Amino acid sequence: MQESEKELREVAKKLLLEKKVDLIIGYEEGTLPLRTRPIFIREADETKKLVWNFRCENNLCFYLKMAKERVGIVAKGCDIRSIIGLIKERQIKRENIFIIGVPCSGIIDRKKIEDILEGRELLEGIESDSQIILKGEGLEEKVDKDKLVHASCKSCKYRNPVLYDTLIGKEVSQGEGEEYSDVEEFASKSDNERWAYFNDEASRCIRCYACRNVCPACYCPQCFVDQSLPTWFGRTLHPSDTLIFHIIRTLHIAGRCVDCGACSRVCPMNIELRMLNKKAEKDVKELYHYEAGISLEELPPMATFKMDDPQEFIK
Amino acid sequence: MRKGDRLKEKIIKKEQIGKWLEKLGKDYEIWAPVKKNGLVSFYPIQSAKEIYFDFLNSKKTPKDLFFPQSEVLLSFPKEEVGKEVKTILQKPRIIFAIRPCDAKSLALLDQVFDSEDYQDPYYVERREGILLVGLACTHPQQSCFCTSVGGGPFEKAHLDLVMADLGDGKYFVEALTQLGEGLMQRDDSLQDVQEKDREKLAKTKEEAEEKVKSKLVTKGLEKKLDKIFDSPLWDRVHQRCLGCGICTYLCSTCHCFALLDEKDKARVKRIRNWDSCMFPEFTVEASGHNPRISNRERMRQRVMHKFNYFVERYGETACVGCGRCIQSCPVNIDIREIIEEIRNE
Amino acid sequence: MNDLYHPRSVVIKKTVIENEARDIKTFELVFLDQEEREKFEFSCGQFAMLSVAGAGESPIGIASSPLDDEYLHFTVKRYPTGVVTTALHSLEEGSEIGVRGPYGNFYPLKAMEDKNIVIVGGGFAFTTLRSTIRYLLHDKNRSRFKDITVLYGARTPGELIYKSELKQWEERDDVNMYVTVDRGEEDWKGRVGLVPNILSEVAPSSENSIALVCGPPIMLKYTMPPLLDLGFSPERIITSLERRMSCGIGKCGRCNIGSKYICKDGPVFTYKELRELPEAAV
Ligand code: SF4
Ligand code: SF4
Ligand code: SF4
Ligand code: SF4
Ligand code: SF4
Repeated sequence: MQESEKELREVAKKLLLEKKVDLIIGYEEGTLPLRTRPIFIREADETKKLVWNFRCENNLCFYLKMAKERVGIVAKGCDIRSIIGLIKERQIKRENIFIIGVPCSGIIDRKKIEDILEGRELLEGIESDSQIILKGEGLEEKVDKDKLVHASCKSCKYRNPVLYDTLIGKEVSQGEGEEYSDVEEFASKSDNERWAYFNDEASRCIRCYACRNVCPACYCPQCFVDQSLPTWFGRTLHPSDTLIFHIIRTLHIAGRCVDCGACSRVCPMNIELRMLNKKAEKDVKELYHYEAGISLEELPPMATFKMDDPQEFIK
Repeated sequence: MRKGDRLKEKIIKKEQIGKWLEKLGKDYEIWAPVKKNGLVSFYPIQSAKEIYFDFLNSKKTPKDLFFPQSEVLLSFPKEEVGKEVKTILQKPRIIFAIRPCDAKSLALLDQVFDSEDYQDPYYVERREGILLVGLACTHPQQSCFCTSVGGGPFEKAHLDLVMADLGDGKYFVEALTQLGEGLMQRDDSLQDVQEKDREKLAKTKEEAEEKVKSKLVTKGLEKKLDKIFDSPLWDRVHQRCLGCGICTYLCSTCHCFALLDEKDKARVKRIRNWDSCMFPEFTVEASGHNPRISNRERMRQRVMHKFNYFVERYGETACVGCGRCIQSCPVNIDIREIIEEIRNE
Repeated sequence: MNDLYHPRSVVIKKTVIENEARDIKTFELVFLDQEEREKFEFSCGQFAMLSVAGAGESPIGIASSPLDDEYLHFTVKRYPTGVVTTALHSLEEGSEIGVRGPYGNFYPLKAMEDKNIVIVGGGFAFTTLRSTIRYLLHDKNRSRFKDITVLYGARTPGELIYKSELKQWEERDDVNMYVTVDRGEEDWKGRVGLVPNILSEVAPSSENSIALVCGPPIMLKYTMPPLLDLGFSPERIITSLERRMSCGIGKCGRCNIGSKYICKDGPVFTYKELRELPEAAV
């Protein structure tokens, strides 16, 4: 970890000094234990603030959508898949982006830490290569990092960047790969059970739209939730309204979601958005043999039509 | 506030609380912190067993019990123009174990929704029908900065009754209003306060206050803000912002809203929803023009509203230091840092 | 008190399409209950929330004079994405809508007495000025004010609103009317020129005068310098601002410029006040 952080700083510094990019977007330490956060660097000197570790949870692609200059971006496997999506869908230009790829063996899920803490406050988190020591008032607990890894990362097959301009550190071993057991188990439940689950999840949604804002696949200049003429769905907090939001969003990102997990992580209400997204991902894969964000050439299935597309749904 | 009440103090054992609440439950609907799906929020409870006493603070603020995130103001058949919905609390309520900062936020909201020239009927009715039983904070969090904005973990202002965990299985209970006294008298098994309880209380309080480590100087901040409206500082502090609604929807004091209509086949409802100054749509005019064009202007509005405009209008800072915005911002935008930067500007 | 958000019922008695593009319409509204009209006490410059059931509410300046005691006029521009304005425009005469208000502050009519009045308006932002002109020119009032000069401009002749009234006012000899367009058309026989330029040409005296100015931000921006040059001090230039509003009563939090709520502390401000507001366009 230490080594790659050093390398990262040097690479970033060089890019700025050689004026290959105007801006570096990466991570710095945050103000709360175990938190990092996005940082924007224009001066070579500032690159010493850059960090890279398994706490770098944000998907920084959000900032590419508005960048007007040449940007060097620190990107994990899933972030790079998001970048590929954005390039393919002409939201950003490949030549304006310098991808600093970082092999990633998974980032930790703060919600899992919260479960361990059981309401106690985390005052300090000390990390070693495979463990994290959680410290608080009357609390000191060693936890294996593996236990804290985010669900999306666990199954990730693209921990090593599929596209980059420079690679930091060494390649890592891939995740478990295709993991739809949750989705399958869920799909086997009765309609009523599934409906109750979604209603319960949606009933917590406060419509802050952080999940949409952070999503690299959500870049519509005006999202359907904000349209008033026509108004697509109700504006209340009733689950029937909030569910429509989530279902439509899932359909919009089907075949484009790269399972970066950013939406689940930003959600302040612990809403399990991944279940919906994973299901869409699975369907797209089975129906169209397509995986998002792997190649710059192949277009997402919802944006193309092939003669042999399955059409049973057209009655 | 109802001043001049006699002070009343008692001790209640933790295991007695259930009985006491049972008695209160006959006349009141009791809302208390409950943990569900890993989150603590205020829910109506049937038994004290449901209460999560060791919560740091609730994820959402209890302000939505007074000013709901979505509320029907008028409901009428299509052909009529507008009939009032009379929102009456079914039963008087108690919010049990509200934190001091959140109680203070209600006093700030009073300035907005229950002022001399304007009383919001929906808000006022709830405010009058809901009693506040506070729970002093024995475990302030790192992100708490109540003591910098006129509060404190043991602050009693705006409560009807306050409780403090003495740590030895006993709670110190103090009635602060006549209504609070009424709640206390409902149970005659509460015990008298001994000198050592009082000592314990003082010690717990001191320890708690020490734990509020974030110290900010907010005095004079409004004057400083007057001068830096066009400062490059705003270019810096908003950069990471995603423009979501988390920091405003979870904030104790934010109170912006939008009125809109919803209709089905037969009826029209005029609804009041929370809105957020961090959303671009918040200020877009019908013509498409948006006076707050980017996150920079929106972040500035959020900070200015809390630390300048509100101070100018009502004489107080519209932030109670609960730290929710710090805890939940997905990109760790920290209002404490912003305040620091403003001071140093 | 309890009817804070409760609109009063009014009927659309008459509608007039004001411009060539047909997206500006004046609605003549009559209260179902005439008593409500009496309670609806307003002054020139104020606005009200108009509501169409199911579509919502929109703040609209009152275009009739307080002395027009049988009806209210509102001139509404329809925007492609404006839910309420679109709904309003689609209503037939005889339809029932809601009115809530009046809200906001107003032009300083008292302070304007015994003074020369200069009114400068541009485009669609002429509605509350029209209310004021109707008020000033009313038989009961005219003698209380000295010279009245009205300068009104639009981009094209087709965009001038209140055309028949403009003509009536032009025919009166107790008001100096100047109507101008930025670009003339074949059959346009009137003045051609930008409002600020015509203002400098006409050069109304600032002696014992007050100016009321309303228009699109760009017009306001270029009208202030000639007014100052003519000797109008910033506190005697009065203008009215627009912002998106939802509640109309200073609570919903979106229409503020600095600490001032346009709906409550405004919409009428002196140029002096305006200059002290941050982020104001002028
Ligand atoms: S839907 Fe969620 S997981 Fe999928 S790309 Fe968007 S943010 Fe990432
Ligand atoms: S982030 Fe969570 S609470 Fe916010 S809109 Fe998305 S699902 Fe709802
Ligand atoms: S929660 Fe954070 S990212 Fe979201 S609007 Fe607030 S400051 Fe911006
Ligand atoms: S601004 Fe942040 S700290 Fe202050 S009251 Fe709101 S959520 Fe709490
Ligand atoms: S800010 Fe103060 S009052 Fe609020 S929870 Fe923290 S310690 Fe308690």
